[in-house]
Amino acid sequence: MEFKKKRAQIKQEIPTTSMPDIVFMLLMFFMVVTTLREVTVLVDFKLPEAKAIEKIENKRLISYIWVGKDKRLQINDSIVPLKDIQPIMYAKREALPNIIVSLRIDKGSDMGLVTDIQQELRKAYCLRINYSANIKI
Amino acid sequence: MPLLKKKPLRTAEIPTASQADLAFLLLLFFLVSTVIDVDTGIGLTLPEYIEDIQTVEVPKDRMAAVLINENGDVLVDGNPTSVFQILNNIKPRIQSKIELPSNKKLIVSVKTDRKTNYNIYIQALDQIKQAYFEVRDEYSNTNYGKKYNDLQPEQQDIVKDKIPIIISLAEPEAVKK
Repeated sequence: MEFKKKRAQIKQEIPTTSMPDIVFMLLMFFMVVTTLREVTVLVDFKLPEAKAIEKIENKRLISYIWVGKDKRLQINDSIVPLKDIQPIMYAKREALPNIIVSLRIDKGSDMGLVTDIQQELRKAYCLRINYSANIKI
Repeated sequence: MPLLKKKPLRTAEIPTASQADLAFLLLLFFLVSTVIDVDTGIGLTLPEYIEDIQTVEVPKDRMAAVLINENGDVLVDGNPTSVFQILNNIKPRIQSKIELPSNKKLIVSVKTDRKTNYNIYIQALDQIKQAYFEVRDEYSNTNYGKKYNDLQPEQQDIVKDKIPIIISLAEPEAVKK
């Protein structure tokens, strides 16, 4: 008598047809959630709110200066003292003549500091500035 | 005895042919509805840095001096107001100068103290900008029947010429520290 291996007759596969869809979903989730950011912001700041604000169309021209609650300044990836703004920004302006400086200043700062930054920017000839602000509804 | 023929097994399947379409629909929805966050803010152009400043006398009626002290109190041409009244204060003055030649347009001068809060300064600047935008919108509405942003570039230039935004930033006095 021949023994036959007994196999379950029921199919035991996990359906995989929907796998690419799940992958697509995940991809989409990450696409939606991710914001592209080239620099890490080291200072803590909260932007002021305003109504009459404009969009900066050309993102390529923007260069940021962050000012945190603790009055620290950040350009690019590092914290810099006030007197370094002029040489850094001048070099940037040389590379990109119509640069727009976006000032992301904490709303609790006082104007003395802001004016000092503006003076440095004027000396560096970076005259187009933008006070970054959120839309007030 | 012949074995009884077994019935073929029934497999239950969910139709998956349309799943890809569903996923595409979702993808499209997100693609269309996503807003890539753009930088927004109040744009300004700083004056050039000049070592020795020559002062030019400007007639009183051309100037709107906005002074903000360290407590957030606002003076517009010597009259105390609040930050949120700046718009109403300045708007009629911009309107009255629309038809004047370009060297007689209103100059809004903003002066703060070194201790003034940045947020109040932005609010004031916002009010001034709003006043200008409203005047521009109204002007375009009466002349072209559209809002300023919907105008043709050439028309925008005309309106810009009529109502230029001139904001002068006075430096705070360095004495106070």
